[in-house]
Formats: sequence, structure tokens, C-alpha cells
Amino acid sequence: MTDTIVITAVGIISALGAGYQENLQQLLQSKPGLKHPRFLQTLHNDLMLGEVKLSNDSLAGNLGISLAEKPYTRTSLLAITAMKELLQSVNDLHFAPDTLAFINANTVGGMCSVEDMYMPFISEEKEGDFINYIDTLDCAESTKNVTDYFSLQPFTATISTACSSSSNAIIAGAKMIRQGLVERAICGGCDAMSRYTVNGFLSLKNVDKNPCRPFDQERNGLNLGEGAAFLMLEKKEDALKRGAPILAKLSGYNNSNDAYHPTAPSPDGAGAMKTMTEALKYANLQPTDIDYINAHGTATLNNDASEGQAIEKIFGTNVPFSSTKPFTGHTLAAAGAIEAIFSIIALQENCILPNLNFEKPMEELTITPVTTLTKNKPLHHVISNSFGFGGNNVSLIFSKV
Amino acid sequence: MMRPVYISSSAAISPQNSFECSLFLKEINCTTQKKLFVQEPDYRQYINPVAIRRMSRLIKMGIACGMKALQNAVVTMPDAIITGTGLGSMTDMEKFLKDMIVLKEEALNPTFFIQSTYNSVNGWLSLQTKATGYNQTFVHRGFSTEMALLDAQLLLNETDEKKNVLVGGFDEMTDEYFLVKSKVNYWKKDPIDSLTLLQNNKTDGTIGGEGAAFFVLSNEKEQALCKLASIRMIQEPNAQKIQEQIETILTAHRLKAEDIDVVISGRNGDLRFENLYDEGFAYLSAGTSEICFKHLTGEYPTATSFAVWLATYLFEKQKTPDVLIYKKGTVKSFKNILIINHYILNTASIVLLQKA
Repeated sequence: MTDTIVITAVGIISALGAGYQENLQQLLQSKPGLKHPRFLQTLHNDLMLGEVKLSNDSLAGNLGISLAEKPYTRTSLLAITAMKELLQSVNDLHFAPDTLAFINANTVGGMCSVEDMYMPFISEEKEGDFINYIDTLDCAESTKNVTDYFSLQPFTATISTACSSSSNAIIAGAKMIRQGLVERAICGGCDAMSRYTVNGFLSLKNVDKNPCRPFDQERNGLNLGEGAAFLMLEKKEDALKRGAPILAKLSGYNNSNDAYHPTAPSPDGAGAMKTMTEALKYANLQPTDIDYINAHGTATLNNDASEGQAIEKIFGTNVPFSSTKPFTGHTLAAAGAIEAIFSIIALQENCILPNLNFEKPMEELTITPVTTLTKNKPLHHVISNSFGFGGNNVSLIFSKV
Repeated sequence: MMRPVYISSSAAISPQNSFECSLFLKEINCTTQKKLFVQEPDYRQYINPVAIRRMSRLIKMGIACGMKALQNAVVTMPDAIITGTGLGSMTDMEKFLKDMIVLKEEALNPTFFIQSTYNSVNGWLSLQTKATGYNQTFVHRGFSTEMALLDAQLLLNETDEKKNVLVGGFDEMTDEYFLVKSKVNYWKKDPIDSLTLLQNNKTDGTIGGEGAAFFVLSNEKEQALCKLASIRMIQEPNAQKIQEQIETILTAHRLKAEDIDVVISGRNGDLRFENLYDEGFAYLSAGTSEICFKHLTGEYPTATSFAVWLATYLFEKQKTPDVLIYKKGTVKSFKNILIINHYILNTASIVLLQKA
């Protein structure tokens, strides 16, 4: 890798709050964002979910959007909110034509709206409010709404690789910058809570009604979450030239596939090992250089067994690791970008984020996650994992500059 | 500028007999129902027989087409798998969503949910080929195939080693999808003979379609069907932007307008977009042939993938079946083919393919 790619701006909204500061404060105070559903209309209202604590009306109001005039799905509202924060921190920046890419990621598009209207969709009715939502089901609707809202005309793309989607968006942006296609790339993802997704994971029997317990022997599945997060990537020299604050360096990454099973990871962690090992190789780092691992850690039986073994095989017992899923829930396509920002928070604050709800070590592991916020040494390199259905694995490495 | 990459094999499942190349357009399939469905091959030759029973159409289409492209290139394990799909498996999404509503969020079948995730074809292809390398799925409406091709070009530009990347695009038509989109004027109002679609260009709407097309892309010229020279994507396209982009591509590749032997255009009989092609092509020379395909495949977000397959077919056969010709040019052999395709959600793309 010849050019150094750095992160110069971020925007985030999650169950922890709207904006970098709110997320930071909740993390530093070890306050999780999981609650019973407040906005999602579901019969499974006993589930703990990582809902963003704002209604669609509040989200729209904060953006000066009238939902009566133009339909926006919750997916789009979350994405626009996160993007607004990012753009506010670079408001001195003029995006010349053909110099910016916007790589978004998403798993179910505007399903959060469509699932309420699908029966009129497929009825003989030809008129009604539902008509405005017909083109919102696909994954690119939020991408388009973000660029339209801010009157940007970047090179756009949308990625969907399940739970690793926005990590892949970050890789795609980095590649485009390095190959000279664009100067800057805003990369990340968004997903809004939907009954479709909640019921999908329930049908797979890997949802815990109670707060999830990553890497615990008694773990019983995941909690779903929602949110959006974006990061601005550019070459270090370009960032320095414009005097931009450099939050971190993207020093390595890898995208690879388990090739094991449509939904389950390889039980011995071979796939996760390959992904992390290749990312280290790319970054030209040794396992001992890594100061913290922000694990995928969904708290499903399969993921944590596989990922835990992979971490133990590569890093032994020396490198602290944790999953932040008990804070936010599993935000699917947004997870990679949200946790990329959490990894940057760890670097900035020199802290290891706690793995909440952990009590009992897993039988198959000798390692255990860090359970309290730990600030005892400067952090230089953090690895962030995102592993998804279809065997789609990504590891990203962020470093201090 | 990035180095060009090469297409070393191609395969397509479409409403015409394209999977067995030798049968292509020997018979022509048409409809008056305003939607075309693919001619399905015997999937069992390409897919794990145990898994196949639970698979939906799109998943089978995608896997079989990807496997065939690999066979054609004599590649057993690609170094990367990159796909594009605008819609993913609509059948699975519809089943899971309706069950969820009707069964009141209880007793749902996880298979539909899993198969409705956009990357499930990718997952199966890597499973079947044991390909553990780079794996990516783009889901950007009319840019899905284009992004997959561009990403393959980016990937192959990062290395000097010989690599094979499996790239594909796929989408399916369903009765429900057809009904839903009819409410926002995607399709012609009155029944028409699909073969007359291009002449039926005085009204809004087109006919629906579907298909899958896969390619093996490589950074080595050896045995290439053609060279993928350039991909440009245009948002909010208008005739002027299309003209400008054509000019930009030709200049970048030191080509004159008359060097373009064939334009494969995405004309679909929709009055609203005819002007994009009519005026957009103003820069092109009178000698260039214009070839169309949507009267044979129908419209879908990843239709560009069929156009790329068609280009590989033309490069190989060096002649054009009459049913494809929209405007006959003077050129006798094919060296440079330009694909220009528009999709209803405000995107257009231009792909330049050259004889290797």
C-alpha cells in the first residue's frame, strides 16, 4: 500500500444516541442502549432491541423534513442524520465534481416502511399514500436520499454483504481513492429496525430476549439494533494539505469468505483467522502490535465460538478484546461503520471498551473479554471484525497517525 | 488511468436460449403478457443436488450461471467473486414478508429469509468453488452490474499476479413485483407483442424481464474474448451527459466516432427515455450499427450484464442476428463495442469493450 488512507470525519447515530459525542459519553459511562421496542410495531415486544431513541417525526423534524410532503423511510432518516454530522465537520470543504464517492451499505432497504404497506402494494388498489413508497424497498433508496438531501453528486454505490456490509463499503472507498478514481470517499452504512429482520433472526432461533452476552458460556443469541454511521476517507497528504483533523489511519483490511455454510461460520474459526491474518499482513503488523480487538461478538453460539477460537489462535491470551454489541445491538449493515468509529474512539481515548454482560468463560476458550472500561496504556492499533451470512468476513485495522 | 482487464469467458441465462450459445436465437421466445421469464436450464448439473431442493429460482439462476462461466474459462476456483443485483431474490422476500403478515410473526421458514439476503448467491458460489478470497455484492439499482465490473477492475489493478475474478449480475421477475411496479408506470398499459417493443415507442412503459449473466475477468490477455476498456456511470442522465461521456471515453481511448462498430443500446420502447438514445447518440457516426436486446429480455436493473454477454457473443461470431438490429451500419467486423444502458431509476451507464 503506497498511499496512507486516513479518516478525517465521522457521523453516527445508534441506540446510544445521535452524534459522536453522545455515543462517546455512553461508551465511557458503560451505559447500554438496549430497551424494549418503543417505535417498532411488533408482537415480539418482550425483546431487547437497540432502537434509536427518536421517532421518525423527531428525526425528520431535526432535519427540517416534512414527511407529509415527501416520503422518507426510517432507513433514510437515520442515514441523513449521520451524514449531516459528518458534513458539518467538513463544511469548509468544497467537493469538486468527480472527486467524491459515497459508498453506502444496507441489508433491507426501506423494508421498515414497506412491511406496513405490502398488502396494499399487492392489492388491486392503484391510489393511496403507499404509492410513494413503491420504489423504496431496494437498498439504494437511502443512498439516493442522502445525496439528494445534501445536493451532492458523488460517485455512488451501495453494498450488501449482510453483517459486514459497511466494512466492505470502507474497503471499497479506500480502493477507489488508491486507484485515483476519487480524492475522497464517504463510506458506511445504515439499517432501520424492521419486523422483517427481527422475525428473520427469530426464525433462525438466534435471538436472545434478554441483553446479549458475547463470549459468555451461557450466551443465547443476539439483540438486533439499528443505526447509521459514515466515515470520510482520504489520502493523508490531502488531509494535511487542507489542515483537516486526522482521527485515525486505515492501516489494513481484508475481505474474504468462509466458503463453509450459507449462514454459519466455520466452527474452528478458520475463516475468521484467515481474514484477520490477511488484514495484519496487509497492514504489515504482527499480532503483538494490536492493542485491542473490537470483535464482531454477536453472542450467537456459532459466531462467538468461531471468532473466539480464531482470536485465541492468532493473538493468544495477550490482546484485550470485547464486543460492543450489548451497547448498540447488532446493527447489521451499519455495524461495521459504527464499530469502526468505536475503534477510533478507543484509539482517541486510549481505552478498551467493555464487553458488557459477561460472567462465565466459554468452555472452548482460555481467553475472556475485557469487562470494564480500561485505560492503562496508549493504544496504537485496533482491529475491528465484521462477519456475515454467506461467509462474508471483513477485518479492518485502524491505527494512530 | 487503470489498466484494462480482460473477459475470458461468459455465460447467460435469459428469456432466450442463451445458456447453450449454439442455440441462441435459433428460436425466438416472445410474449404478450408484458413480462418475460428466463429459459431455465437443467440446474442439477451445476448445483449441489442436496441443497438444490430448497433453492428459489434466482438463487439457482445465479449459481448455475456463475458455475457455467467458470467452466467456460476452465477455472475451478476463482480468486474473487463479485456480483450485482438490483432486487435480490424477490420470490423469497415476498414469501417471507407475506408469511410474516399472515402468520402474525410466528412459525416462519428461515430458508426464505436467508435466501432473500442479497449476498446469498455469492455465498453459495464460494461454497461450491471453495473460493475463500475477496467476495462482494453491489445492490445499486441500475449500477449494480457496473459496480461489480468496476470493482473487479479495481481489484485486478492492485496486483501483477494473474488473477481470475468471477463477476455477475442477476435479477428476477415475479408476478407480484410486476403488479407493484405497474402502479408506478414501469410497464406498458396495453398488451403488446414483446417482439414489437422497440417500435412501440410512442407510449410510456416497457416490458418486464429477468436474467443472469456471469463473466470471468482476468488481468491476462491470453484467450480473452474481449477487453473491458472502460465503465462510466451517469446519474440523472440526459442526452447531453450521454453525448459528453461518449466523447470522453472515445478521447481517452484515442478512438474516433467511426471506430465504434456497434452500439448495444438499452432502448426499451419507453417514450420517456427514447430521447436519451436518439439525441445521446448524436456524436456517433452513421456507419455504426445500433443493436437492441430488451425486446428479447425485458427490462431489469442488471440488464447491462446481458448486454456485456451479447457483446462477447458478437466478438466471437463476428455477425449480428437480424432480430437484434435496430439501425444497420456499414461496418463488417467488430473491434469496438459500446454499451449504453439506461435504467428507470435515473441511471445510465456506458461500457467500452474492445477486441483483445
